[in-house]
Amino acid sequence: MSRPDWIVLVVTLLGIIAYGLYKGRASKDLDGYFLINRSVPWYIVLLSIMGTQASAVTFLSAPGQAYTDGMRFVQYYFGLPLAMVVLCITFVPVFHRLKVYTAYEFLEQRFDLKTRSLTSFLFLLQRGLSTGISIAAPSIILSSLLGWNILWTNIFMGGLLIIYTVSGGAKAVAYTQQLQLIIIFGGMCIAAYMVIHRLPPHIGFTEALHIGGKAGKLNIVTTGFKGKGGGFDWNDRYNLLSGVIGGFFLALSYFGTDQSQVGRYLTARSLSETRLSLLMNGLVKVPMQFLILLVGVLVFAFYQFHREPVFFNQTQLNLLAKSKYKDSLTTLIRDYDAAEAVRIRERTWISAGAPRDGAAGYGRPENAAGSPPLTAGAMTVERQQSEDRLQQAETRKAGYKATVRRWLNDKTIGGDDNDTNYIFLRFVVDYLPKGLIGLLISVIFLAAWGSIAATLNSLSSCTIIDFHKRFSKKELSKDKEYRLSRLYTLVWGIFCVAVAQLAYNIGNSLIEAVNVLGSLFYGVILGIFLVAFYRKKTGGLAVFISAVIVEIMVVVLTILSRKGIIPLSFLWFNVIGAIGVLLLSEAIQWLKSRRLLH
Amino acid sequence: MEEETQKEKVPLFKTWRAWYALVIGSLLLLIGFFYFLTKHFS
Repeated sequence: MSRPDWIVLVVTLLGIIAYGLYKGRASKDLDGYFLINRSVPWYIVLLSIMGTQASAVTFLSAPGQAYTDGMRFVQYYFGLPLAMVVLCITFVPVFHRLKVYTAYEFLEQRFDLKTRSLTSFLFLLQRGLSTGISIAAPSIILSSLLGWNILWTNIFMGGLLIIYTVSGGAKAVAYTQQLQLIIIFGGMCIAAYMVIHRLPPHIGFTEALHIGGKAGKLNIVTTGFKGKGGGFDWNDRYNLLSGVIGGFFLALSYFGTDQSQVGRYLTARSLSETRLSLLMNGLVKVPMQFLILLVGVLVFAFYQFHREPVFFNQTQLNLLAKSKYKDSLTTLIRDYDAAEAVRIRERTWISAGAPRDGAAGYGRPENAAGSPPLTAGAMTVERQQSEDRLQQAETRKAGYKATVRRWLNDKTIGGDDNDTNYIFLRFVVDYLPKGLIGLLISVIFLAAWGSIAATLNSLSSCTIIDFHKRFSKKELSKDKEYRLSRLYTLVWGIFCVAVAQLAYNIGNSLIEAVNVLGSLFYGVILGIFLVAFYRKKTGGLAVFISAVIVEIMVVVLTILSRKGIIPLSFLWFNVIGAIGVLLLSEAIQWLKSRRLLH
Repeated sequence: MEEETQKEKVPLFKTWRAWYALVIGSLLLLIGFFYFLTKHFS
C-alpha cells in the first residue's frame, strides 16, 4: 500500500477508537455498561443491529459471490423481514416487560435454571469460537493480499477494538457502529462508482447489467426446481423457498435468541423504539444486500474488458510457482494471457457496436480507416467470426482456470482452490486510486470491528449475568459487577484473537468445523424459545429433553448431509431444529399429562 | 403485555399492524421487482 493509503487507514482506525472512548462514557453499573440505561433512540439501535450483522466477510464475500454464482444469494435474506414482524409481536414485548439483560434470563423465568444455563452456554461456546473465525477470515485475506504478518493483522483486526469495547461497553459499541456504517456505505458507494467509471466509454450501467444478465449473474430470484418437470432441489442453497422459509427461521433465531443482537435492541429507550428499529431493519436489509451484490456484478462486467487474473488469490499462485508445477504454471499463464487478449479484443468490438445481422458497416475498427463499408452480408460473417473467437477464448480461459484449481487441489500442494473472497479486494488493490485503497481496507476493518465489538459485549453480559452473578454465593457490589464486566470483555477479546491465530495455524478444517458448529445450535435454541412463547403448558423438563434429542438428530443429519448421503442444504437444519423441538416437547408434555412419563 | 403494547405510541401509523403490512408488502414488491430484473436481463 502507498503512503496515502496508510494515512487514510491509520487515521480512520484511530479516529474510531478515539470516538469510541469519547462516546463510551456511561454510568458505571451493569445497566449503563450493557444496556446504556435503556436510553438509545431507534435509529442508533437500527445502525447497531445492522453493524452487528454485517461482518467483514459480508463486504468481502458478497461481491465475490455475485461474481461467481450470481445475485441469488440475496434470497437468503428474504425471510428476514418476516422474522422482524414476528419478533415485534412476540419476543420483544416479553423481553421489555421482564427487563432482562440477556435473552436467556427469560428462559429461567419461563422454564428452569438448567434450560437457561444450557442455552446460554451454547451461545458462549458457538459465539466465542465463531468470533475468532470472523477475525481470522478477513485477516487471512488481507495478509495474503497485502503481504502483512498474520499475527499482527489478527491483533489489529480483533485486538484494537477491545480498547473502546472494554472501556465504554454497549454505548461505545453502538455509537462507533453508527460512524463505522457511514464510512462503510460511503466506501462501498465510491467503489461502485469507480467500477462504472472504469468501464469502457461505450459501456454504461445498464449495459453492464445486460452483460451480467447474459452471463447468468442477475439470477436474483430462482425457484430451486430442477429444469422442466424436475423436482425441488433440497440441496440447492439459495432459492425463493429456502430463502423465505429457511431464512425466516435463521433470522428469527439470530435476532430473537442470539445475545449479540438481543443485547443491541434491549438498549432502546422504549418498546416502540425497539420495534421501529427492527422493522426498519426489515425494510432496508434486503435492498442493502442487493446493492452489495450488485457491486460484484459490476466488477464482473469490468473484467469482461480487462484481464482477469487466472486466480484471484496471488498467494496460492505463489505456492504453485514454488512447487512441481512451476514450469507448467509459467506456460499456462502465457497461454492464458494470449486467450485473455483475444477475449477482450473480441468482446470490446462486439459490444462497441458491431452491427447486428442484416446491417452494413465498417467492420472492425482497424478496417475502417480509408476502407469502403462492408456489405450487410460481410458484416454478418465478420460478426459471427468474432463471436466464435470470443467463445473459443472463453472456453480456453475456463480450461486454464480449472487446471489451476486442479493443481491447488493436489494433496502434495495443499492449496485452497476457492478465490471468491479475494475477487473484490483484488479489484480494489489493482484498479482503485491511491487513498481509496486505504479507505476500502478501512471498510473491511470497520465492518469486522462493529460485529466483533457487539459480540464481545454480549459474551461478557452472558458470562456475568447468566453464570457469575447467577451462581455466585456472594452479593456483588455495583462497582464490582462493573469491573468484572470489563474484565470479562477483555478476556473474551483475548480468547477470540487466540482462536483466530489458532484458526490460521490449523487451517480450513477449524474454520469449517466452527461454521458447522454454528448451524447446529441455532434451530434448537430457536425451538426452545418458540415453545416458551407459544406453548404455555409445556414445562421445562419436556423442552430440555426434546432439545437434547433434536440436537443429536441435527448432528446426525449434518453428518449425513456432509457425506452426501442425504441432499439437504444447511438452511433447512434451522427449520428442522426449531420445529423438531416444538413437536417433540409437545409430545413429551402430552405423555407426561397422561402419566405415561414421569 | 397487551396493555403495555397499547400504551406505546405508534409512530407514523395508527397501529403496529400497518407497520407489519408495510414491511411484508415491501418484501413482496421487492421480490416482484427482483423477478422482473431476473427475467429482463437474462
